[in-house]
Amino acid sequence: MFNVLIASLPYLLKGAQVTLWLSLVVVSLGTLLGIGLGILAAIGNIFLRTLITTYIFALRGVPVLIVMFLGYYACPALGFRVNAYIAVGAAQIIYIGAFVAEIMRSAIASVPPGQVAAARSLGMRRFTVLRQVVLPQAARIAVPPILNNSLTAIKQTSYASIVGVWELTYAAREIVERTLAAFQIFLGVMAIYFLICYPLSLAARWSERHLLVNH
Amino acid sequence: MDYAAQTAHLLIREFPQLIAGFLVTIGVASAAIPLALILGLLLVVPRMAKSSAIAGAAIAYIELMRNTPLLAQIYLIYFGLPLLGLYPSEFTCGVAGIALQHAAFMAETYRGGIESISPQQWEAARAIGMRKLKVLRLVILPQAIVRILGPLGNQMIILIKDTSLVSAIGVMELTMTAKMAIERSAASAEIFVAIGAFYLILTTFVGAVVRLAEHYAAESN
Repeated sequence: MFNVLIASLPYLLKGAQVTLWLSLVVVSLGTLLGIGLGILAAIGNIFLRTLITTYIFALRGVPVLIVMFLGYYACPALGFRVNAYIAVGAAQIIYIGAFVAEIMRSAIASVPPGQVAAARSLGMRRFTVLRQVVLPQAARIAVPPILNNSLTAIKQTSYASIVGVWELTYAAREIVERTLAAFQIFLGVMAIYFLICYPLSLAARWSERHLLVNH
Repeated sequence: MDYAAQTAHLLIREFPQLIAGFLVTIGVASAAIPLALILGLLLVVPRMAKSSAIAGAAIAYIELMRNTPLLAQIYLIYFGLPLLGLYPSEFTCGVAGIALQHAAFMAETYRGGIESISPQQWEAARAIGMRKLKVLRLVILPQAIVRILGPLGNQMIILIKDTSLVSAIGVMELTMTAKMAIERSAASAEIFVAIGAFYLILTTFVGAVVRLAEHYAAESN
């Protein structure tokens, strides 16, 4: 019964490779973007803060699929002739950047302001306070949700197949259209996603237990 | 015609279809949300069972749902069920797929709330002779749900955004309507920005309702 899955496994694994690359790029760049914007939103002037919170609000409230379509259609309309991977990847980076920015912003906001005042009164520069007092504490709070967000981002790379980007889920649909073996193929695909996602899921849970300890 | 007038003209022309799609999106969400809430509750009972076989089965289901993409799950249902001789509509498949995944997330949220209630309340209620399910229903859940209103609400907002995925199996909801509108007209980015605004209004509204509910719950405590 699962012969068809075994026969299509090489093709699916090629798709999984694309999914892994897409995930790696999207998660790392999106997280970096979000951390940067989150810090700016916490320490920047009112103009910068408003700009970033608007970005966070707008992106977090819409489905990632819409942002992917927007990237896919808007890039050519704006005159950028890029391939679908770059358009959809960029859309996803901008999307998960908003989530990470919000995680980072609220983590920084949760550090008691008294600590900043105390460090400043000791004569530390603003940047030193941020680096040595605020960020180490904020990071403990931000790491677990950032890991969970990465997990969501990896699963969301499958939505790129709807826009027409070839990766694991797209490859699976191609095989199902040819063989009609929907159960075997999609269960196999879910198993592949599970193998990619579960370690990260465990890491997220581990970090929740070990970083979010009340001192 | 300049760009603004052209865009306005386009959006006005497509507006009735977009509203129709928006209503279907609301329909998918309002079918899937209660289903996910109830299934999650049904799932949390075996998840917290003493028997490791029962708890293990619930954990396996929850972890599988949480660690695989919703799109793959929807495809499994939509393309798989006809092979078993079942032909549910696209709408049913989409709602089922969304509810089955979100139930797993809801179950974990419920569990967090239930575990936050002091075990002494369990013991006290058991000591006066209440059965386990009755303790859960009458003592634990009413308190737990108040505590997890925020996370449950966030999960509902994620669910609403996930309804866009049912466009992949051909449900004529908001995202699908937008795709069709783009195929009819040359404009594309404009339509997706408009659609984004529709989703933003919906998720912001639900977010506000959730915060209001949290506020009232905190006050009545």
